[in-house]
Amino acid sequence: MELYDIIFYLFAAITIGSAIVVVNSKNIVHAAFSLLLTFFGVSGIYVLLGADFIAVVQIMVYVGGILILLLFGVMLTNRITNVDIRSGSIQVIPAIIGLAIFTAILFWTMTSTNWKSEKFELPTTTAFQIGDILLSEYVLIFELLGILLLIALIGAASIARRDKE
Amino acid sequence: MLENLFKDLSLIYPEIIVSVTLLLVVLFDLIYDKNKTIIPYLGLIGLFAALFYSLGSVDIETHAFIIGDTGNKFGLLSLDPFGNYFRIIILITSILIIFFTKSSSEIHSISERSGEFYTLLLGMVLGMMFMVSASDLIMIYISVEILSLSSYVLTGFTKLRDRDSEASLKYLIYGSASSGIMLFGMSLIYGLIGSTNIYEINEVLQTTSINSIIYSFALILIFAGIGFKISAAPFHFWTPDVYEGAPISITAFLSVASKAAGFALLIRFVKVTFLADNIEGNWILLQGFDWQNFLIIISVLTMTLGNFAALWQDNLKRMLAYSSIAHAGYMLLGIAVLTDQGLLAVMIYFLVYLLMNIGAFYIVMIIANNIGSENINDYNKLGSAAPFLGVSLTIFLISLTGLPPTAGFISKLYIFIALLDVKMIAVAVIAVLNSVVSLYYYIRVLKHMFINETDKTVPEIKVSLNDVVFILILLVPTLILGVYFSPIVDFAQAFLSILVN
Amino acid sequence: MLTEFGKIFVFIILAGAFVGIAIFAAMLIRPKRPSHEKDLIYECGENPEGSPWVKFNIRFYVVALIFLIFDVEIVLLFPWALVYKTFGFYGFVAGAIFLLVLFLGMAYEWRKGDLEWARPKINRLELNKLLEKKEQQVS
Repeated sequence: MELYDIIFYLFAAITIGSAIVVVNSKNIVHAAFSLLLTFFGVSGIYVLLGADFIAVVQIMVYVGGILILLLFGVMLTNRITNVDIRSGSIQVIPAIIGLAIFTAILFWTMTSTNWKSEKFELPTTTAFQIGDILLSEYVLIFELLGILLLIALIGAASIARRDKE
Repeated sequence: MLENLFKDLSLIYPEIIVSVTLLLVVLFDLIYDKNKTIIPYLGLIGLFAALFYSLGSVDIETHAFIIGDTGNKFGLLSLDPFGNYFRIIILITSILIIFFTKSSSEIHSISERSGEFYTLLLGMVLGMMFMVSASDLIMIYISVEILSLSSYVLTGFTKLRDRDSEASLKYLIYGSASSGIMLFGMSLIYGLIGSTNIYEINEVLQTTSINSIIYSFALILIFAGIGFKISAAPFHFWTPDVYEGAPISITAFLSVASKAAGFALLIRFVKVTFLADNIEGNWILLQGFDWQNFLIIISVLTMTLGNFAALWQDNLKRMLAYSSIAHAGYMLLGIAVLTDQGLLAVMIYFLVYLLMNIGAFYIVMIIANNIGSENINDYNKLGSAAPFLGVSLTIFLISLTGLPPTAGFISKLYIFIALLDVKMIAVAVIAVLNSVVSLYYYIRVLKHMFINETDKTVPEIKVSLNDVVFILILLVPTLILGVYFSPIVDFAQAFLSILVN
Repeated sequence: MLTEFGKIFVFIILAGAFVGIAIFAAMLIRPKRPSHEKDLIYECGENPEGSPWVKFNIRFYVVALIFLIFDVEIVLLFPWALVYKTFGFYGFVAGAIFLLVLFLGMAYEWRKGDLEWARPKINRLELNKLLEKKEQQVS
C-alpha cells in the first residue's frame, strides 16, 4: 500500500495547505477559491476511504453549491474585494497550547484506541447500499430530511427575500 | 416489513399530524394569498389533535421503526411514557405560544409573512417531538437540526431592529458550531462501539469495558450539543443575546419548549446509554465516565453564572434569559442525582416552569406592546397603572424565585428532596443560596413597579379580555398547585418510566 | 490495476501536468518585457475604467440558495432512484412523499415570486416627461 499512502498524504497536504490559506488570506476572494481546494482534498480522502458516493456529493454540494453561494455572497457585497479583511492572529500562545493539547489527545487516542473494525468486502459503488438503508432502516429519516429541506428552503427564502415596500 | 411500518406509523400519530399540519400551513399560505388569519387556527387544530392523541397513548412502551431484515432489535424511536410526558409539555407550550403570538404586536407587524412564521413554528414543534423519543444518534442529530434551523430563522424573523438579525446570526453561528461538535462526538462513539443506536451502545458497554480518554472526550462533545440546547454553562453564551433579540413569543418558546426537548434528550441519553442497573429507583451507571460529578459541576456552574449575571440586567427579557439559565441549572441537579425521584422532580419542574415562565414573558410582552420598551426603568409605577398585570407579574416572579405559596416552591422542593435523598447536602445548600440571590433581581422588578417614583407620566396600559383570560389560565394553576400539588405529582408519576434494556 | 477513481486521479494529475509544463516551457523561452499597459485588465482593447468587481443583483443570491437546497435534494434522490424498484410500490411511495414535500417548497418559491426576476418599474408619467424633454431638445 505504498502508493495508497502517498496519495493519502498528497490529499491531506492539499486540504491542510489550502485551509491555512483560507484563514490567512487577506483577500476574501482568494480565501473563497482556496476553500475549493480544501473541499476537493476532503473528497479525495473520501474516495480513499471507499466512500465514493460521499466524495461525489462533497464535490456536488460543496464545490457546486456552497462555494458558488459563498462567491455570490462576496460579490453581492459592494467593494468588499478591495477591503483587506483583518486576519491577524490574536492570543497566539493560548491557541498553540490548546491546539497542542487537542492534537495530542487526538493523536494519542487515534493510535492507542482499539477501534471497532470488521472485515468488510468493499463494494465498488456504495450508492446502492445507501439507497437500501435509506428506504428500509432509515426511511423515517429519509422523509424527515424532506421536511428539513422544506424548512431550510422556506427559512432561507424568507430571510434572503427583500420585503415588499 | 410493511406491516411493521404501518404499526410503527400508527404509534407516531402526533408527529404525523404535526407534519401534515406543517405542510397544510404551507399550502394554505400559497392558496390564500390575501387572508392569513386562518393559518394560526389551522396550526392550533393540528396541535390540539396531536395533544389529544398524545394524551390517549399513555401506556405505549415500545421500540419503533425497526424496519428491514438486518436483525435489529431497536429502532430509531423509543416510545415510552417519559417521552410522551415531554411531548405533552411541548404541545401544551406550543398551543399557548400560538395564542401568545396572536396578541403580540411584533407578530402583527409581520402578519403578511405569517405563513412562514407558523410553518417554522410547527417545524420547531416537530423537531422537538422527535427529539424526546429519538433513540438513535442519527435520529437525535436530525431532530436537533430540524429544531435548530427553524429557530435560527424565527429568532430574526421580524427584522425590526438590527439586534434581531444580530441575535439570529449569533444563534446560527453558535448553533452550527455546537451541532458540528456533537456530530464529531457521535462519530467517535460510532468508531469505538460500532453502533449508532443508544440501546445497542448500552449492550456493548455492558459486556466490554471501554475506559479511555477518547470515550469521555466523545461524551463531553455530545454533551456540548445538548448543553447548547438547554443553555447549560459553559455553552450558554448565546442565550442572553438571542433571548433579547428574538420576538418575545419566540423567546418564551425557546426558554420552555426547546429546553424541555433538550432535557428529555439528555435524560434519555444518560439513562438508556449508561444504565447498568436500576435498584429501587437509583440508577447505577456504567463505569468509565462519571456522569454524576460531571453534571453536578455543570449545574452548579450554570445556576451560579445565571443568577449572578441576572443581577446586573436592566432589560427584562435579558434578565429572564439569565434566570432561565439558572433554572436549567436547578433542573440539571434533578438529573445529577441519578434517581427516579430526581427524574420526577425534573418533570414536575418543567410543568410548573411552563406556567410561570410563559406567564412572565406574556406580561412583559403586553407591557412592551404598550410602552415599547422592556427596560426596567420604564416599569416605574406601572404596578399602580395596571394593577392586574402588576399583581400577576408579582406572582409569576415569586413563583420563579421558588417561594411559597406558589407552584415554583413545589418544583424546587422536589429537587431538594431528591438531593437530600442521596445525601448531597452541600449541593443542596448551594442551590438554596442561589435561590436567595435570585430573589434580589426578581424583587427588583417589583420595587420598580410598585415603589419607585417616576418623573414621567405613567403610560396607560391597555389589557384586553383575551389577555386577562390567558394570564388567568396560567396564574390560577400557579397559585393552586402551590397549595394543592398532589395532582401534578400524580400526573408526573404516571409518566415516569423510561424504556431501558 | 486502476479503479474508476484511479483513472480520474490520473486524469487530474495529467491535467495539472499539462498546464504546469506548458506554462513552465513558455517561461523558459518567452521574452520578458513587462510594461504598465500589459499589467492592465483586458477590456476589449479599451482603457479599463473602475474596478472589475461589480455588485451583483441580490436576486442571484436567492436563486443560488434555492439551487443549493435542491442540490441536496438531488443527492438524496440518487440512491433512492437506484434501488426503489427492488422495494416495489412501497419504495415508490416513500420517494413520492419526499418529492411531494419538496415540490411544495418549489411551489412556495414560485408563488412567492422568488423565481421571478425583478424588473425595474417604469413610471409612465416620468417616462413621458423625459420623452417630451428630449423632443424639445431635438427640436
